[in-house]
Amino acid sequence: MEEKLLEIKNLRVRFVTERATADALNGVNLTIRKGESLGLVGESGAGKTTTALASLKLLPRGGQMLDGEIYFKGKDVMRMSKRELLDMRGHRISMIFQNPLTSLNPVFTVGEQIGMVLRQHKGLNKKQADEEAMRLLETVGIAGYRLNDYPNQFSGGMRQRVGIAAGIACNPELLIADEPTTALDVTIQAQILELMKRLQKEYSTSLLMITHNLGIISELCEKVAVMYAGRIIEYGTVREVFSDPRHPYTRGLLGALPKLEGDRDRLTAIPGTVANAQHLPEGCRFHPRCEHCTEECKKQQPEMVQVKEEHFVECFRGGKFDG
Amino acid sequence: MYFRYILRRLGQTVIVLFFISILAFALIRIAPGNPARMMLPDTATEEQVHAKEMEMGLDKPLYIQYIKYIGGVLRGDLGTSASYQTSVGSIIADRFPATLLLTAATILVSLLISIPIGIIAGIRQGSMVDFLAMLFALIGQSMSTVWLAVMMIYIFSVKLNLLPALGMGGIKYLILPAITLGYPLAAQVTRMGRSGMIDVLREDYITATLAKGIPESRVYTKYAFKNALIPIVTVVGLQVGYFLGGAVVVETIFSWSGVGQLANQAVGNRDYALVQSLLLVIAAGFALVNLIVDLINAKIDPRITLE
Amino acid sequence: MERKLIFKRMVKSKFFMTGFLVAVFVVIISILSPLLANFDPTANALVDRLKSPGIAGHILGTDQLGRDIFSRLLMGSRYSLLIALVVVSLAAVIGTFLGLVSGYFGGRTDTLIMRISEIFLSIPQLILAIAIMAMLGTSVFNLVMVLVITSWTQYCKLARNNVLVQKNMDFVHASQVMGAGNMHIMLTQIFPNITTPLLITISQQFGMIIMVEASLSFLGLGIQQPTPSWGNMIADGRTYLTTAPWMVIAPGVALMITVLAFNFLGDGLRDVFDPKRT
Repeated sequence: MEEKLLEIKNLRVRFVTERATADALNGVNLTIRKGESLGLVGESGAGKTTTALASLKLLPRGGQMLDGEIYFKGKDVMRMSKRELLDMRGHRISMIFQNPLTSLNPVFTVGEQIGMVLRQHKGLNKKQADEEAMRLLETVGIAGYRLNDYPNQFSGGMRQRVGIAAGIACNPELLIADEPTTALDVTIQAQILELMKRLQKEYSTSLLMITHNLGIISELCEKVAVMYAGRIIEYGTVREVFSDPRHPYTRGLLGALPKLEGDRDRLTAIPGTVANAQHLPEGCRFHPRCEHCTEECKKQQPEMVQVKEEHFVECFRGGKFDG
Repeated sequence: MYFRYILRRLGQTVIVLFFISILAFALIRIAPGNPARMMLPDTATEEQVHAKEMEMGLDKPLYIQYIKYIGGVLRGDLGTSASYQTSVGSIIADRFPATLLLTAATILVSLLISIPIGIIAGIRQGSMVDFLAMLFALIGQSMSTVWLAVMMIYIFSVKLNLLPALGMGGIKYLILPAITLGYPLAAQVTRMGRSGMIDVLREDYITATLAKGIPESRVYTKYAFKNALIPIVTVVGLQVGYFLGGAVVVETIFSWSGVGQLANQAVGNRDYALVQSLLLVIAAGFALVNLIVDLINAKIDPRITLE
Repeated sequence: MERKLIFKRMVKSKFFMTGFLVAVFVVIISILSPLLANFDPTANALVDRLKSPGIAGHILGTDQLGRDIFSRLLMGSRYSLLIALVVVSLAAVIGTFLGLVSGYFGGRTDTLIMRISEIFLSIPQLILAIAIMAMLGTSVFNLVMVLVITSWTQYCKLARNNVLVQKNMDFVHASQVMGAGNMHIMLTQIFPNITTPLLITISQQFGMIIMVEASLSFLGLGIQQPTPSWGNMIADGRTYLTTAPWMVIAPGVALMITVLAFNFLGDGLRDVFDPKRT
């Protein structure tokens, strides 16, 4: 087994606002190994972004970590010194954000926004950073001379390329991509995915791909973790999970996708609505929407069980539903 | 891009100046009584009034009168002051440096104090520092210039005998008027700096910058600072109007012989030619400050020129 | 926003509660002032001139003409508050209406109204007020008019900006499709959405107008003697600063507390209704 790069244990995060208290993460366990690419999938509000930001110790205002541990290469992130923390952010782990329209600072040139990482972590001076930033822009398919342009002079897709260029600038060990294509047009999405695929091969970094798009996962990832109401409810290789989904929620997600080949089954939607983080149900958080729900499911939180060598599911019935 | 923006903004300023000149022109004509008589001392004879009427073209249509007026202004001829018996232009030019010194020094000092306070309050939102900064700002906003000026004199000149209350001279004379004039401005800037910083720190791009491993101190002083500066510069531009009004009161109370004091004296002396020209000059100065402010803002925020 | 949350925030906000309570107190005092004043505020009594506070029933002392400062202060509060009330109401109605029209109809109407408001915005408020007062002469009517002329733009800008946002919202389109008249839409659909920012502006302008009026009265261009106003009382007292400081301190403190109260109120309102607050 490869070395563990990022290990999250029993992570619980709560957001307290004036209006309400929301339990965003309720015991997340997740491991990413070196060289691995993991897809984290789930509906909006499932806690995907919160998991990513917590790993960088960057929870937004109002977010409290109630419990759990996060290790990066065996080091406790919460106990890291300031220097270690800064070195981890942007250098060892870098993050690409969901909305390229809001994640680039409008009053700095794209060159500056790529260059600041290089100056911070590689110790480059202004000129060297500019040269390197120019090379990175070319790598992601933007003409280098646009270094001194401002984000507003780029389209959404181009801006996301800039975000990616900044993300790969220091050749990080782990790249977290938080729905990097969600805010973009479909055609642009495909281009960005192509780019990420190419870079993944060239740079051989580990990847944590956050998305609600199952297609992206099957294209880019080996492993997949399915998230629901702040917990990972199914985990395994993409091949395993997609061909033999065990959790009723995962089944629902896959059933909601149209098939292009083979028999055209009727599309199935998951009944009910996403669990409300302010009023989470007791027991298994999915039970109100589950057609196989039992009394046990209503009372107790199921444990993660291994169903195959590389396939785990958090369900009392281990994903066996006969009849 | 920036150059084109400068041109566009210059064009707007010219239009504003045109409207201001119309207002100054109209001012003399909305007043009850004979405009020509108003431009002359009370002792003027009928012949002098008649000559003035001809000079102003009062027998001609309004637009001819305006062209005559604006033609004079553009040649630097602002008319003759009734109370000083000399050209209005030279009186204003005499008084102008004093006002420039007072206003420039005051703006500079109040920005140097209030911008850091506002920014720190925004970063430490909800802390004691924030509360004190807000209190400082709210009191400053609520301080009438009149009352603040008199209190300053009472405390620092009458009671403590530390600083001179009246007149001009060394830096000692500048302190009280500058504090009086600058506090309301500092208060507004503190507030803007605070709310600007709070807004900026909620932005995705700041999280993104932190995720790049840039130290918080640098994020605050460099990256978020530049964004927060935009509303600050804007509010300075807007506040300068209030500030110039305050200058009339402050210069009058502290016997600071600048343009503001001159305005008050002109009103007292019913020197309408002087009042009219002061309105024109001060409004033009205000327009110029706003032009500079906008150009600075466009330099900070490229989105303005890209629109 | 939920009523309960607003109420909770109001009670919790120190600024709002302080401002609200003090403002109510000041207004009540000023309404009751004829009952509270123990002297005729304009009656000269030269024998009693420049008496210190507390002497011979003069709670806050007397001025250079022997007039009771406490009584003048109360009477002055009526003028300051009444003028501010009239000015703010007129300016708010005129400015909001023009702003609504300007934003809603757009095109030439918009250009015309915006150009006019730009002229007024391009001249410092007090300077314009001084110039106009100097030309027209001093009277309460002229004072009110000048203050309205120099402050309506605030509301106009506010209303227009909000209309531009609201105009393209679905509920407005829906009303238009259903054949509602423009006036009807403006007043029933758009206006209710700007009441909150309007309330905040009114509260802050209230303090602002009191201050501008004080400055004008101080310069001799506002309320004229012997009618008392806080501004002309400070002007009177300035000469006697060394011998009778109470002449300045009393109106000054009253002025500051009143303006502070309305600014706290406006600020508290902004805080309470802040949609971005979590």
